Amino acid sequence: MSTSEEAPVEFQNVSKLFRQKNGQPFYANRNLSFRVRQGEVVAIVGETGCGKSTSFQMLLGLLRPDEGQVRVLGYNPFNQHSGLLGAVGIVFQNDRLLPWRTAADNVAFGLEVLRVPTAERLAIAHTWLDRVGLKGFEHAYPHELSGGMRQRVSIARAFAIGPKVLYADEAFTALDELTAARIRNELLALVKETRITTLFITHSVPEAVDVAQRILVFGRPGKVVREINRDGALAQGKSVRAIEEMVREGLAAAHAPAVAEVGAADLCGGIGAARAATNLVADPPQRLG
Amino acid sequence: MSISSVISRKLREQQPFVTGLVVVAALWQLSTFFLPPIITPPLQDIAVATWHIFTRQNELLQLITTGARVLIAMVVSFVVGAALGIAMGTFDKLREYVKPQLHFIQGIPSVSWVVFAAIWFVHVEMRIGFILFIVTMPAFALYIDGAVRSVNLDLVQLSQAFRATKFQRFRMVIVPGIVPEMLSAWVVNMGSAVRVAMVAELIGSNIGVGFQLLNAQAVFDMAGAVAWTLSLVMLLSVFQMAIKFLENRLLAWRPQAEQA
Repeated sequence: MSTSEEAPVEFQNVSKLFRQKNGQPFYANRNLSFRVRQGEVVAIVGETGCGKSTSFQMLLGLLRPDEGQVRVLGYNPFNQHSGLLGAVGIVFQNDRLLPWRTAADNVAFGLEVLRVPTAERLAIAHTWLDRVGLKGFEHAYPHELSGGMRQRVSIARAFAIGPKVLYADEAFTALDELTAARIRNELLALVKETRITTLFITHSVPEAVDVAQRILVFGRPGKVVREINRDGALAQGKSVRAIEEMVREGLAAAHAPAVAEVGAADLCGGIGAARAATNLVADPPQRLG
Repeated sequence: MSISSVISRKLREQQPFVTGLVVVAALWQLSTFFLPPIITPPLQDIAVATWHIFTRQNELLQLITTGARVLIAMVVSFVVGAALGIAMGTFDKLREYVKPQLHFIQGIPSVSWVVFAAIWFVHVEMRIGFILFIVTMPAFALYIDGAVRSVNLDLVQLSQAFRATKFQRFRMVIVPGIVPEMLSAWVVNMGSAVRVAMVAELIGSNIGVGFQLLNAQAVFDMAGAVAWTLSLVMLLSVFQMAIKFLENRLLAWRPQAEQA
């Protein structure tokens, strides 16, 4: 079995450097290494500004690492776009539905990219909308749906392409607690059913412990500072609360030294906010070209 | 919703406009008792002249000619302006060079273009076409440049994350995202195109509403001048209704409040 089949997602000593206007560098990720094994559900948990979003952008191929390698199914996501075509499903923090498309057309978005014929892709879209409990809303536009319903559409869109890997980036943050819990359970049921390799990115400790078999605690500057095997811990008789406490301890330990390491650079607020605040220079996602 | 309730709602919406129109018409008619017909001709004379424009083949041809000139020039302007706007919105370097030139062109009064066109072109249709093009094209380009630049980056990233090709991204995200601004550009440009067409036709054309206005002025036919002006306003209204119809069709996805 090849490495990509054993570990569909792999970071090898990945560093991502941003430069402030005054030339001062800071690392969003430094020597980040981890693997997600086939069929595994892994959560990355960390405080805001610890490099989770930068890692996510590198996974999507929107940012190029300065050092090290990112491999998804054995491909470099930045260069080998066609190799990953239809292989990765994504659920974003905000639903990112195209406002001019109906729910069914939004679900069919990825299939259209894959050039699936119209009738076939709409049939698949309808099936997935049914699966996420939105039968009857196929022709509704996003503004006619609630936040929870829109996120369900985005989940259907991620699964409709039949991906081998699923990323969910803070997928439930924008929802109220009850809706988030319900949709999280629905998503987990789909993940279990499809046995898809899944990477959750979250800042919620209970969510991470709830969804993942393995939890990677991120510390600054963007590296894994603790790894917790939830299933192993449960097998040892530890309670969910105790596991959550382990994760929180990891987060607390990760936080203190990071401030000294990065100096004055304020990494809080996520990399997007940090870049906006300090005019950091990095590879921006291309607009059209 | 029944047809009668739709009609009554539309009438209610138009009530302030209609009231204002009636007041102006009444004042105009009142003035005819005190002023000679060359200043304010009676409404019935204007109505007859307007009726003739729409019922006599030769007069109607004048109106259709002006409409066709405006429409053809607008389509050409839109195609060129959209291509330029999309290119500017995509390539920053190009935008840096082209945008100031477009603003410069916009700053030149349309009358100057009329003079330039009269000197540069022999053919009348070329003159009018050029003037309409040069006046409306920059607005199209600038509107669409702004629209491309303000396309939601999240949606662009979504298409990148789904590994869409550049053309797919353009077709599935960029084009639908800029349609509202494209239509706004049409609305804004249509009004100025009709006005500029008048000026262009006043000089050097022997057919069209502008030419007829010039004729009316030559024989002091005030009723005719008002009638031609009214027919032009009606033509513009038809164009704007067509754009509104397109807007309702293409932007049906927008929330009702946003459409309003």
